[in-house]
Amino acid sequence: MDLIRISDLRVAFSTRSEEIRAVDTADLVIRNGDTISLIGESGCGKTVMGMAIMGLLPKNAMISGTIRYGDQDLLSAPDRTMQQIRGKEIAMISQNSANALNPVITVGDQIAEPLLIHHILPADAARREVLRLLSVMGFEDPERAAGQYPHEFSGGMRERILIAMALICNPQLIIADEPTSGLDVQVKSQILQMIQQQIAGTRSLFLITHDMGTASFLSTQIAVMYAGEIVETGATKEVLAMPMHPYTQGLLASLPSAGLRPIPGMSPAPAHLPEGCRFCSRCPAATIRCSTLHPPLKTAGISRQVRCQIYD
Amino acid sequence: MSRKPILWISLAVLCVFIGIALAAPLIAPLGPTAITGKPLQPPDTRHLLGTNNIGQDIFAQLVFGARITLLFGFFSALFSVLISTSVGIVIGYYGGLVDEIVCRAIDIFMPIPMFVLLIVLTTFFSPQILEVSLLMGFLGSIYGIRIMRSQVLSIARMNYVEGAKAIGASDFHIMYRHILPNVMPLVMVKFVSASQHLLVMGVGLSFIGLWDTSIIDWGTMIQNAYSQGGLALGLWWWILPPGIAVVCVSLSLALIGYSLEETFNPRVGVNRL
Repeated sequence: MDLIRISDLRVAFSTRSEEIRAVDTADLVIRNGDTISLIGESGCGKTVMGMAIMGLLPKNAMISGTIRYGDQDLLSAPDRTMQQIRGKEIAMISQNSANALNPVITVGDQIAEPLLIHHILPADAARREVLRLLSVMGFEDPERAAGQYPHEFSGGMRERILIAMALICNPQLIIADEPTSGLDVQVKSQILQMIQQQIAGTRSLFLITHDMGTASFLSTQIAVMYAGEIVETGATKEVLAMPMHPYTQGLLASLPSAGLRPIPGMSPAPAHLPEGCRFCSRCPAATIRCSTLHPPLKTAGISRQVRCQIYD
Repeated sequence: MSRKPILWISLAVLCVFIGIALAAPLIAPLGPTAITGKPLQPPDTRHLLGTNNIGQDIFAQLVFGARITLLFGFFSALFSVLISTSVGIVIGYYGGLVDEIVCRAIDIFMPIPMFVLLIVLTTFFSPQILEVSLLMGFLGSIYGIRIMRSQVLSIARMNYVEGAKAIGASDFHIMYRHILPNVMPLVMVKFVSASQHLLVMGVGLSFIGLWDTSIIDWGTMIQNAYSQGGLALGLWWWILPPGIAVVCVSLSLALIGYSLEETFNPRVGVNRL
């Protein structure tokens, strides 16, 4: 069953002189139990997609299209409805940064907050739930951890706390935006395993990352994004084994394990997108047609889509 | 140099005055308004600071005056901080048009000297002491709103505020639970410095007789001594004690304010005095 159906999503930001198209004609379906990775380089619009689902785009964003969730459209839902959905049905694991947690509130209180805001449990039951979740998250003395402040924890511990905050209301969908950025390799793999155990087929995950390793570990589906567009989708295994879009191929070839061959050039500025294929200027397989004709996302095989002329 | 001893001494002085104000009837059983002796008596064992021109006990006036003066200062400051914190948080968090309007209004009020504005307003409306206090709190909050707003602007951009939105928190919840605790140190510092500022201003107002002169506070006492010949006759026990009391309270509040500011914000220069 479809949990979220994004169709024809466009997000643009207008500045004084120009219009920045952050996301263009994005279509994506997240089914119950799906784990989908949205992969792409910095600035390609992947975080904007996540924020659009959460309804947390800044006020100056111009949004069109629909994001269907159940029988409502998240883009046109009133603020009150969105507040009830956020944290309870769709939760977010935010990027671990120095101020991702409020420095003056104890960790226990912060983890309990979603439960109390949504009136799911009374304060004492919420407290027990927090302690239970903290011990699941690998805290040896949950009682003590709950009473401590964020600055008393390491980066990895803080990430676990952020995960606990996202999980506590038992949401159907979790959006994780670069959940392991800034963590060392050892801690990173622990965190990824923790997320995997918690998702384990019962919840859906929408993972936003630039890291192929993270994506292949956590997700069964992959969507590759380039310059605001989804250029390739498919099952993670298939996409990794046989990338179709030249950008995906370049991305995989640039991995250290594949020989560290970066894609030449830079992605186009989102304010000055080319008329034809957006990857054209960096593409080894580009033809004259590519610079004028903008390719649509086409079905290519079982549950695979690709946005490239060479498969016409 | 450590500021600690200064903080403790100031707190002690302030506590002594608060204690005096609370225990006024015990300390000065003669009462501030009753005529208990001959006029213009020098200090003796019954009248510790002598009597004034109509035979009221000056020591009792000083002790009971502490109640009015301190209460006035703290109440005005409380009101002022209440306004500046709530308005500052709301406009700093929402921004946009409301923010713009409030900031422009502040720009208009800022250049008007507060004391002059107060004199004009109290002359026209001859308000009660409570109303003067509210008015002063309101006028005093104008500077505070600015400071609070700028603080909130930076806090509202922190990731945990975004995070709070992502767990479905309402705007009120975010302002109350996430932003307010983060500006609390500033609120405390502002409360202390506003108390000092407004207390002295209140004494000034009552000195020039702009509120009900039947209420005896330190300003009224100095005014009486000044206009009824205390100064001309050189009766130091009449004119000096209320003045010294104002200086002690005001100085200790100012020093407490500086110490708090230094504790909460170590970047503030150490050698302020």
